[in-house]
Amino acid sequence: MAALPKRIIKETERLSKEPVPGISAVPHDDNLRYFDVTIDGPAQSPYEGTLLPPFGGVFKLELFLPDDYPMTPPKVRFLTKIYHPNIDRLGRICLDVLKSNWSPALQIRTILLSIQALLGAPNPDDPLANDVAQQWKEDQNQAIATAKEWTEKFAKA
Amino acid sequence: MKFGQLFKETLRNEGFPPEWIESALSYSQLKKCINRLSTELSELGLDPDTLGKLLKHVEDYNAAADQSDDRARPFEYILDDSEDEDGTGEKKPRKTFQPKLVFHVDEVTGALHSAQLDEKTKRKLQMLAVETGMTELRVFEEPDNQETPSHPTVASANSPKNRPGYRKIEIPLTSDTEFFTKLTAELSGLEALQKREEQRMHGEIQSLGRQIAHLTDPDRRSNKKLLSVWRQIFQLYLEEGIFFGTTESDHSAHDAAKAQERFNDFCEKLRTSGLSERLKKKENIEAFNTFMNINQEILQGLRFGEINETAMKKILKKFDKRTALGVKATVPKQITYPSFSSHLAKAVCAEVSTEILSHVPQIEDYACPMCMEIKWRPVRLGCGHVFCIRCLIVMQNNKQDRCPLCREQTVANANSDNLDEELAQYLKKWFPDEVKEKQRYNELMAGVDQYGEVYKEKCCVM
Ligand SMILES: [Zn+2]
Ligand SMILES: [Zn+2]
Repeated sequence: MAALPKRIIKETERLSKEPVPGISAVPHDDNLRYFDVTIDGPAQSPYEGTLLPPFGGVFKLELFLPDDYPMTPPKVRFLTKIYHPNIDRLGRICLDVLKSNWSPALQIRTILLSIQALLGAPNPDDPLANDVAQQWKEDQNQAIATAKEWTEKFAKA
Repeated sequence: MKFGQLFKETLRNEGFPPEWIESALSYSQLKKCINRLSTELSELGLDPDTLGKLLKHVEDYNAAADQSDDRARPFEYILDDSEDEDGTGEKKPRKTFQPKLVFHVDEVTGALHSAQLDEKTKRKLQMLAVETGMTELRVFEEPDNQETPSHPTVASANSPKNRPGYRKIEIPLTSDTEFFTKLTAELSGLEALQKREEQRMHGEIQSLGRQIAHLTDPDRRSNKKLLSVWRQIFQLYLEEGIFFGTTESDHSAHDAAKAQERFNDFCEKLRTSGLSERLKKKENIEAFNTFMNINQEILQGLRFGEINETAMKKILKKFDKRTALGVKATVPKQITYPSFSSHLAKAVCAEVSTEILSHVPQIEDYACPMCMEIKWRPVRLGCGHVFCIRCLIVMQNNKQDRCPLCREQTVANANSDNLDEELAQYLKKWFPDEVKEKQRYNELMAGVDQYGEVYKEKCCVM
């Protein structure tokens, strides 16, 4: 295997030494480009955990740094099922900085922060999961209720 | 353990310079003042219980929305000597001031006018007013229209207003004047000490700064190896964030305990890294010791400031408890604690970083935003952002035309004219090892570009 670029080593170091609140990213021992990620649903969003046990509201993701990173963005996917207009059934995320708006100056931590922000501000006008987006536009209260239900059911700590 | 005892022992056992200990608040003497005041007040019939009732009254009055009717306010304890900021923003030197205990009584009968006081207290105060009024109690009347237009703030809630038909009676107390005079004088002393310390450390830091500049000057051949040692020491120091948080989530100033903990951690890291042992020559060792000393002194200053501030808070609380005069709520600005801890630490830390650390540039500040390695060779794009040449080539090969930092289209037309020669010279001078390593890597990657991955394997075998 090719040596790990210094940049990836530095990013990984900083992620563990100075973690972002509500976010963790730990590389696999056998593949340092592959990260197990968890993101806490933001407060006051339908993805927030409960104050009392069983808490929950913790979403698992996987993140992979391709060979030509940082020329190309990291590949990120939700592993925990989530009801969100910009995240589809396979956990793929519709987020501009992961696609056309990627810049090599962005980092793993900035990307994960953007994803956390996306949970706090769903954008049904730029949907990936069409059915969810439709529901979100037609009956937002119902959609939020469903999102909460899914959070409780799937996003366990 | 009682606070007074604890305070004394802390001062004695923590290795403060004698001059500091002399300037510390004289907690036990202030306590004696309070005892005397308490006796003085009870001799007047104003035991804490009576005063407490009165105070409760004043508090109710102050909390009430309608303060136009101040008949309900039976007494005032005035600490503010109405020293105003003169608008220039300049802080006037601390002044001693005369606290006043003032009652409002009926001009004719000497009765204290307040419906809410119980009879017993009222009678007691009335007796006091009449009795002392005839003897040594000063009764003073302020002339009408005594409004002072030049000092509009004087007419604030805690200044005595003139009330028709009432007289103000000032009860002469001596121990409280003594208490506040002493306290203000001691705070001034602490402030002066702080100024002297800052001056002294300023000199110390500047001279160490010159020494470090000399010891790390890359133009001196004998410094070659030591430059990187000093750099690593300072890097550890900066990363530790001893006096101030350095992370996104923590920018705050640390208290003495936390700073001490961080400092110990820094010492431990220095020990395990073996860096300080690599400073072999006497002048380097001396400079290192001075650097550590300065940090110890900042720590000590923080600690000294903290315990004195606690002592001040405690003694004011005691004053209130024993006399029920309620000063804590009305402490004027003369009795604010001189911001010894935070101020000294902040000023000195800022100096440490500008006068000492700045002599040794850190690689962090010269890292390419894309590969995070040293910006070698540095290419300055049209937008002003600088990347290493390797990353520029990668971007051009990938048709990434926009600058990763500002998204301006400045990548495609960058060429050898964009090499920043001045920065290159600087990097070569200050980071010779890093530059060499990066140069080797760049050459290797250029070979790979030309001949493919095989080139890398061949090189690695060699
Ligand atoms: Zn680079
Ligand atoms: Zn730019």
